[in-house]
Amino acid sequence: MNRDVTELLTVTNELLRSPASVAERCREDSDLRPLVLGSLLAIVVGGALFGAALGAPRGALQALYAGVKLPLAMLAALVVCAPAFHVLNAGLATPRPFRAIVALTLAATGRAALVLLGCTPGLWLAMDVALGYHQAVLAAAGCYLLAGIAAFGVVARGLTPGLTGMMTSLAFVCVLLPVGGQTAWMLRPFLGRPAQQEVPFLRARESSFADSVMTSAWSAAGIYSRIEHEARELDEGVTGRSRVPVEDRIDAFR
Amino acid sequence: MAGVAKALHSAQGLSFTERLVAQSLQTVVAEGARATWGLLLAATYGVALGTRSGGAELWQHALGVPAGLASVALVGVPSLFVFLALVDAPISPTGALSVATRALSVSGLMLAGLAPAAALFVTTIDSGGIAALAGGVGLLLAGAIGLVHLLNGLSRQLVQAAPVVRAGGNAALAVFALFAVGLCLRVWWATLPLFGGAS
Repeated sequence: MNRDVTELLTVTNELLRSPASVAERCREDSDLRPLVLGSLLAIVVGGALFGAALGAPRGALQALYAGVKLPLAMLAALVVCAPAFHVLNAGLATPRPFRAIVALTLAATGRAALVLLGCTPGLWLAMDVALGYHQAVLAAAGCYLLAGIAAFGVVARGLTPGLTGMMTSLAFVCVLLPVGGQTAWMLRPFLGRPAQQEVPFLRARESSFADSVMTSAWSAAGIYSRIEHEARELDEGVTGRSRVPVEDRIDAFR
Repeated sequence: MAGVAKALHSAQGLSFTERLVAQSLQTVVAEGARATWGLLLAATYGVALGTRSGGAELWQHALGVPAGLASVALVGVPSLFVFLALVDAPISPTGALSVATRALSVSGLMLAGLAPAAALFVTTIDSGGIAALAGGVGLLLAGAIGLVHLLNGLSRQLVQAAPVVRAGGNAALAVFALFAVGLCLRVWWATLPLFGGAS
């Protein structure tokens, strides 16, 4: 028992301090068991605590739900992505054993989860003291970015060196970003909207991650036609009549 | 005899993935088996796309996805070989077969690897257009990687040829690339219900 704990702590330390040696272990397919176990533990603990911190401002139930869902989202994305990573590596670089690719992605995600764990206290305090809903979303996105960069450090070192390896790493990112986004999208809410009265475990299925990103991008650019259109449709659905544009209403008073 | 045994032994030592992406498998039967595996793997991507509607569409997609790749291999590659032979490119029929089956199996392998992601997208995205786009990206990516393997494999065999032959061969490869993309898209468009085909 004592030996196992020591081994897990050693792996955790190695994940944080020397991504190159972790990548080397995965590349050589040697002594992967403690690495995989340590990475899984890091994902579960790191993800759960970060998730709980995200949900904490909305109460204990939201914290519990988010603490359960965040590691689930990370692991689900890995399950979906691991076969894609394996074949992309085989097609773009040189084939490696499947378990080596799985170990590499687990180690990279474990490192990301540890970075999230490191960000947790700061994020929690900031959300508790100063940040509103939208700022909290942005702060969480910043943490994910930091964690993603840390994970990329392991993946890039674990693949074939040179241009081929870089292309394969980029292909990994191209698969992981939409898959991770969609998985998290399915399992939301993590923070919970302030206006929402009850705390659901999952939000009803609507639209998609890509659709949401597009809408947000338009909104950020100051183009609200899509949102306006949806609101008009909703308004017509509720009242049964068309909404009168604001300019026409003003004209009516003149 | 000893050489054959050695080759067989080394082929047996390869993993499934390594065998699919190996440069050459020595025998026509092994190449045929590799192509069959490629098509079967591609069918898993079709099944993944079919999960959006389920029922008969599972089968329609499972047949339609490999049909696109098979059409290029069966219709396009022999035609390409004719034109390469006309310009006197130093490519043997077995060499062309190896390159073609390798490209086919790489595409199939890619599609099988991307199948879980495709299933996730098509079953969880509400909008039909975005779901089709997500499914299409996987098809294009796998098709493109297979095509690059095919073109690389054949152009490597042209390196030793005279400049005129090389130029003619490369021109044939460029035309083939356009044809392959067009044919594959046409077949997928016509057969996959996700894109409005076969409905």
